[in-house]
Amino acid sequence: MAVTAKQELRVQAGPRPSARRSEFLYFALRNWKFVAGATVVLAMLALALIGPALISTPPLAFTGPTDSPPSSEYWFGTTSFGQDVFAQFVWGLRAAFLVGALGGGIAWVIGAAVGFTAGYRGGLVDDVLNMLTNVVLVIPTIAILIIVAAYLNLHSYAAEAVLIGATSWPWAARAVRAQTFSLKTRDFVDIARLSGRTTRGIITREIAPNMSSYLLMMWILLFGGAILIGASLDFLGLGPATQVSLGQMMNSAYSSSALLLGFWWWFVPPGIGIILIVGGLYVMNVGLDEVFNPKLREL
Amino acid sequence: MLTRKRGGGAAAIAVALLVVIVASIGLSGAGASQRSAFALPRGQTLYMSGNQWSPNNDVNPAKNWDYVTGLVGFNYETAFRYDPMKGTFIPWLATSGKWTDKTTYVMNVRKNVKWTDGKTLTPADVAYSFKLAKIATHPQHPLWTDTGLQGVNAKGNQVIFKFAKSHSYQQFDYYRYMVAIVPQHVFQRWSKTELATANLNLTSGKIVGTGPYMYQSGYGASSETVTWKKNTNWWATKQLGIKVAPTYVVDISNSSNAAALGNFAAGNIDLFNNFAPKSAIRGQTKTYYSKAPWHLSANTVWLFPNTTQKPLNDAVFRRALATSIDISQILDKAYQGLAIKASPTGLLPIWNKYVDGQTVKKYGFSYSTPKAKQLLAAAGYKDTNGDGYVENKDGSAINLKIVCPNGWSDWMTAIQVIQSSAKAAGIHLTVGYPDYGTMADDRGHGRFDLLLGNDRQMSNSPWTYYQYIYQLPLSGNQTTANYERFTDNAAWKEVQQLDKTPTSDKSQYQAQLTVLQKTFLQKLPAIPLWYNGMWAMFNTKYWTNWPSSSQNKYTDVSWRNYWQMTSIDMLTHLKSAGS
Amino acid sequence: MRRYLIRKVAIYALTFWVAVTVDWAIPRFMPGDPVDRLISRMQAQPSSEHALNSYYTNAFGFDVPLWKQYVNFWAALFHGDLGVSIANFPTPVWDLIRGALPYTLALLVPAIVLAFWAGNKVGAMAARRKALDNTVLPVGYLLTATPQMWLGMLLVFVFATTLAWLPVSGAYDLSLQPAWTLEFARSFLQHWILPFLALFLVAFGGWAIGMRNMIIYELEADYSNYLAALGAPTKLVRKYAYRNALLPQITGLALALGSVVAGAIVVEIVFSYPGLGTLILNSIENRDYFVLQGVFLFLIVGVLIANLIIDIAYVFIDPRTRIGMEGGA
Repeated sequence: MAVTAKQELRVQAGPRPSARRSEFLYFALRNWKFVAGATVVLAMLALALIGPALISTPPLAFTGPTDSPPSSEYWFGTTSFGQDVFAQFVWGLRAAFLVGALGGGIAWVIGAAVGFTAGYRGGLVDDVLNMLTNVVLVIPTIAILIIVAAYLNLHSYAAEAVLIGATSWPWAARAVRAQTFSLKTRDFVDIARLSGRTTRGIITREIAPNMSSYLLMMWILLFGGAILIGASLDFLGLGPATQVSLGQMMNSAYSSSALLLGFWWWFVPPGIGIILIVGGLYVMNVGLDEVFNPKLREL
Repeated sequence: MLTRKRGGGAAAIAVALLVVIVASIGLSGAGASQRSAFALPRGQTLYMSGNQWSPNNDVNPAKNWDYVTGLVGFNYETAFRYDPMKGTFIPWLATSGKWTDKTTYVMNVRKNVKWTDGKTLTPADVAYSFKLAKIATHPQHPLWTDTGLQGVNAKGNQVIFKFAKSHSYQQFDYYRYMVAIVPQHVFQRWSKTELATANLNLTSGKIVGTGPYMYQSGYGASSETVTWKKNTNWWATKQLGIKVAPTYVVDISNSSNAAALGNFAAGNIDLFNNFAPKSAIRGQTKTYYSKAPWHLSANTVWLFPNTTQKPLNDAVFRRALATSIDISQILDKAYQGLAIKASPTGLLPIWNKYVDGQTVKKYGFSYSTPKAKQLLAAAGYKDTNGDGYVENKDGSAINLKIVCPNGWSDWMTAIQVIQSSAKAAGIHLTVGYPDYGTMADDRGHGRFDLLLGNDRQMSNSPWTYYQYIYQLPLSGNQTTANYERFTDNAAWKEVQQLDKTPTSDKSQYQAQLTVLQKTFLQKLPAIPLWYNGMWAMFNTKYWTNWPSSSQNKYTDVSWRNYWQMTSIDMLTHLKSAGS
Repeated sequence: MRRYLIRKVAIYALTFWVAVTVDWAIPRFMPGDPVDRLISRMQAQPSSEHALNSYYTNAFGFDVPLWKQYVNFWAALFHGDLGVSIANFPTPVWDLIRGALPYTLALLVPAIVLAFWAGNKVGAMAARRKALDNTVLPVGYLLTATPQMWLGMLLVFVFATTLAWLPVSGAYDLSLQPAWTLEFARSFLQHWILPFLALFLVAFGGWAIGMRNMIIYELEADYSNYLAALGAPTKLVRKYAYRNALLPQITGLALALGSVVAGAIVVEIVFSYPGLGTLILNSIENRDYFVLQGVFLFLIVGVLIANLIIDIAYVFIDPRTRIGMEGGA
């Protein structure tokens, strides 16, 4: 759920001195939250990257016995159609990372671009962009996503990610705008401006680096949010139908009555997968927060 | 701390209040159109599901794709019923009917049948009901345009149907058990548009029928259940000595198979007519057959090729494709043995007696990868570029897309099997799952390569199947028949000839069917795959003596248009498990 | 203050216009003809197809130019007319929404309010209290990372299928009709618990984490240290911290509404709960665009109104807003 995402960054408004790299690493590796979160996420990522190569069974092929519980041959059991749940799981992880990285990435880019521009330029540009942000922010984007996805018959997770990215940026834009507002009156920005730097140069060279920790955490939260939104869409049967994702696994388990017939191995893994990735990201984020903001470190 | 405590308490109270208010809005909102409620006596109530179109807000008997389940069959009845297992018509609101000459059909209307408002059913009501289909937007309008029917009149105790010289038998037979007989004195207040397309929302007392059950409660936009109560004055009790066993019947319209199955597993549903996986048949659950395929066959699933484009316009290619499909793997993976392979003719098991063994032997097809390869090679489809797939005769690549609606998991599985077995024979297919609406739209407009269809249910005549395959002329949007856009004027003439042949003229009827089977198998405009089941699972906790292959051989589904076959006999034969 | 409100209302008006226009435009510019689809579903025979086609084209108002359809759409909207369902022709869309709305509200409102209240309390308690924090933090993060539909499925599997303590699906027992009886109320509550929990727990996790983190910020703020240095009791310091931390949480509530609605949609589907979510799924399956349009319009308006209420409330809760917002920051 994206609630926390919006929450956490909201609090961190107000720039803080950027940590030096070595210092960052030192504290990061000593922060159990960051280490634990990052470990889980990286483990999942490794499984997503290597898994499909190790499992020769195509995720949708009907090769196995039907409704078989986990065994040494089928680690996560099989579906009612004789598909290998583990094969679906690793391919599903891959789709989740794709949607998260791309969807979160697109939202991040749009959010940052709108936020910087509005915050730095101010005036009419800000008014227009701010209006746009507020409009998209208030509309329940799931409504738009469902209706558009229902019409478009998405053919790839990349397309799904684009749709998600295009609708989940507003809170990020708002946050970046607020940060930029407070940074642009600082001396070093004034100096840069006086020395004749272009707007773009000032934003990318002066302002953005000073909130890099902030931008990094924003990306992590958008990443997790995009995975959850994508899972909902796939669960509704609106994702690409010829491919496997964690949400689509839940959809097919649910519609095949797996939870009534006791085939728990079919729908439990995809949920765990999502929780591990998204939960890992969030915990990692809170760890990062403590790293960047020494006041928050555990007493 | 004090403030916080007080604040918390206030919030909790506010929340509690909110819950109550919200819940009560829920009750009053949803309950507004309902009668006062009481729990129905479980032992006297039959719960059934199978209607997946919610909500239950249509009580117009003309709209036979979305009226509330039981509206026709429970409330409104038909002149005849049809027993598909025996292949005979059962006199119902008509006591008999016959052709008195080549152009006149006479129906004798049953006497002493009362509408539930106390009035007597008259031949004029019957004539009126058949005349309703004259309205151009009425779903049964083809009765007046395609059968040669020219006039319907009540005379004495009879209803007389006048036909043109050349007229239909098969199609007219179909309407004999499909037209709901409605009370003219109630229906005459509505306009033509309303009669054909409106929901005819009425208060319960105004739904006036002749059948074994009376509407009790439940229709409305938000309703999930419709309750029917036994009509103790049903004419058949006095005249035929039969009565329906359950005092109440509740039809549940579920939004998903899974939710319905949950209720069935919990013992809340007695008659389950949704699709459920094989593993759901366990414990006290009974089905029509006690072993595979467990269910009766309700309709044929066809593979429709778009015959307007190459290579699917080539009968040899279609035959090779048909030969390449490993149907038993589909039955195994998608249905776990719940369905059976279709006859190469596509005709349902109830029409087995019409299948001409010689013709099938000579022109039929069966799964064989080598045979498929051989057919392709002989016709000049060769793999010229060595990618493992054959090319068109002119050397261009073949890549056909096979589609079925997204979410139809059994069919999605099936087309993947088709894809892989076609691959073994060297035919390149890709699969796609558009949503149903898009698929139907593309199907109608001929924008597809290959797709699955099973629109025709069992009926009184194979004519309904041949019309489905051959119907001409083609229009811009083929909404119901000839999806494959196959123009075979000679075959269509044969189909029309079949329509004009009475079933009673046995030799002529069989001869006509044999000709059509041969024509069909030679060209194979559509490929019959398997029979979709008449999905039915019975809970024996409250009701016993369900239909089965050894006794009570009746249709065992609550689906629309099956009550006027023999599903109603299922209810008259049920026994309470308590007694 | 006034300028702030005018500005807000202007934004909402604009949002409403954009939302309605998008909502109107999507079905009309996407591929596929709803009338053709309806007729396909009716299995209309060719001889009646033409008459049906022109009848339904007219009935749905597709036989006038686009700009006029747009004007008609707005005109109808102001009469509270959301059009007619395609799949359930000619049931008005509004009737379908009215039937489903109470169920969605009965799930959504308690879930939002209770989760917000309980989440904030627990989060505040956990902050800077090691033992509690060590459970609240990981549990909170796991909950907030859980997809609601999956939690719902798990709850069904454990409490309905396996233990058979609670019903699998629906909003009340099949043998009942909605009415003011104790029996119905009991059945309603039994069916309500699991879907409510699925929504509540996920949201609860989010608020708890949010509050926990924010309290820590507040406790580290200068004023807290100052208060503590003056020898104020910890309770008092925490009270001030809680009050200040609550403000951004309330703003967050407005922003969260959209995603809570999304959660309700998928949870209702898992439980076949007869609310708007199930209505949406049915409409997607039937490609009943007018119902989809109507429901979404309804959701959008609902979220807008909730936002407006929170915005106005905020002004009264936090006097700083008036100055801050007028400053344009």
